[in-house]
Amino acid sequence: MVLITVRLTRGATMDLALRKLSLTKEDVDLGYGLIPLDPDKGTYGMRVTPEAARKLADDGRDFEGPWSDPRIEPFGPPR
Amino acid sequence: MRVLIQLRPSPDLVAAVADPTMTATTSDVSDGLPGVVLDQSYIPVAVPRPMPASPTGDPLSLNQPLIYSMAPDEASVVLRGEVSDDEVSTRMSLLPGRRDVVAVYADPVIETSLTCGGTPPVGDWHDVERLLRVAELRAEGLDGSGVTLAVTDTGINAAHVARRLGRGLTVDQERSWTPPGVPGGAGEFAVDHGSMCAFDALISAPQASLIDIPVLLSRRPGGSALDGLLSDAVAAFAHLRAVLDAQPAATRSLVVSNSWGSFSPRWDFAPGHPGNYSDNPAHPFNLIVGSLAEAGADLLFAAGNCGRDCPDGRCAYPDRSITGANSHAKVLSIGGVDVNGERVGYSSQGPGRLTQRKPDFCAYTHFAGSRAFGENSPDSGTSAACPVAAGLVAAIRTQWPAARLSPAALRTLLRRSADDRGELGYDYDYGYGIVDAAGIIGALRSRANRAA
Repeated sequence: MVLITVRLTRGATMDLALRKLSLTKEDVDLGYGLIPLDPDKGTYGMRVTPEAARKLADDGRDFEGPWSDPRIEPFGPPR
Repeated sequence: MRVLIQLRPSPDLVAAVADPTMTATTSDVSDGLPGVVLDQSYIPVAVPRPMPASPTGDPLSLNQPLIYSMAPDEASVVLRGEVSDDEVSTRMSLLPGRRDVVAVYADPVIETSLTCGGTPPVGDWHDVERLLRVAELRAEGLDGSGVTLAVTDTGINAAHVARRLGRGLTVDQERSWTPPGVPGGAGEFAVDHGSMCAFDALISAPQASLIDIPVLLSRRPGGSALDGLLSDAVAAFAHLRAVLDAQPAATRSLVVSNSWGSFSPRWDFAPGHPGNYSDNPAHPFNLIVGSLAEAGADLLFAAGNCGRDCPDGRCAYPDRSITGANSHAKVLSIGGVDVNGERVGYSSQGPGRLTQRKPDFCAYTHFAGSRAFGENSPDSGTSAACPVAAGLVAAIRTQWPAARLSPAALRTLLRRSADDRGELGYDYDYGYGIVDAAGIIGALRSRANRAA
């Protein structure tokens, strides 16, 4: 899965995002869900398959990404 | 081997060396000593002769009342030089008595002993309590009551933390959040890094209400037991935004302690790539961090353990290891010092990647505290320094919610009140200095008086 961001109306749902992007439930990480990043600006994040991200780009859909999704680890104890 | 050579030249030469208005050089004092390379850049120093204070005193004993004479016929002069390592003992025994030489001494390198990963604990959490002036904070009514303190980490074991603190604590079950698929409930996770962070945060904010966010326990293919993905942190911060928005505006206070980050560029797009995280303020996580801070949250991130003196073995950035949100302009990036005020050798140095002036300041680490990693293991890393600072912020928020003191104003107050260390003013080792609770208390009193 890769992380992308989309612009949707305030209070948007995953169903609305799928419809807007012409994606199916198999294309996205439903467990992760649709994450509001900045409610005031209507920016949301979601995880999609790499194939779906490529399809969105090929279709010229309005989205940003894929964004890097690096591993994060505790800063301690120092090894 | 570097050596110091003590000579007793003519009294007029000693007088010239001792006279601060004159500049005598090494070559004025000695035109050379066999087997010694004299350091011509070293300014000769006059050394007084110790003498018995009493006329009947022992002229050869230093264990009695002494006076120190700088009289030209009694004082001596010290020069600096170097002898070959394989001739040290010969030269040191043969030189005295020749060409005015009185004695030859070793000139060892002097340096502080840095605290590194394997160093035993330096002090304990009661030292931290004292340094953070917790008793004074409590007297000012600053104990974290009514303040929400989120620990985004590996989960908290509340029973262990309570046992180590010797007092109860509050974990807010309702407002805690767990990534999908992670078993366990808030406050009931295995004792690990997150329990250390919770313990350290509660040192100065014992009454704060903890929100448990075990973002580093997320399950994914190929992941280890104790790491996560940044997208999990994105989801966690979205939850925290909902927590913040649900608070009444007048009393809003949410402190978020983040003792984690990314060790390697291997998992990231390269700087310059539009999807990059480390150097890109437009990355979704950097956006949500800015948005949450703007909405009224205090966000603290550990600076990292990639200090040049003894970096963590996982550090893979070739330089500027304070990356991404850990270097965000709207967060406090926390470096580490031990309870003696010395920077720990692994504490990451600036400049940061998103904002140059990182770390912001340092807080205490490497002390015996939670024992989350065993009886003799310290609470260490900038991982411990971050919640120590976050606890102090939570204590402040008891009387100073975001509506009264904005997160930006609080960040400025903490930077300005820090006890300056290292170079004068800001430096990339200590930032603005070491967090100073006394300075903070004073600044808050002044602010309250001005407002009254």
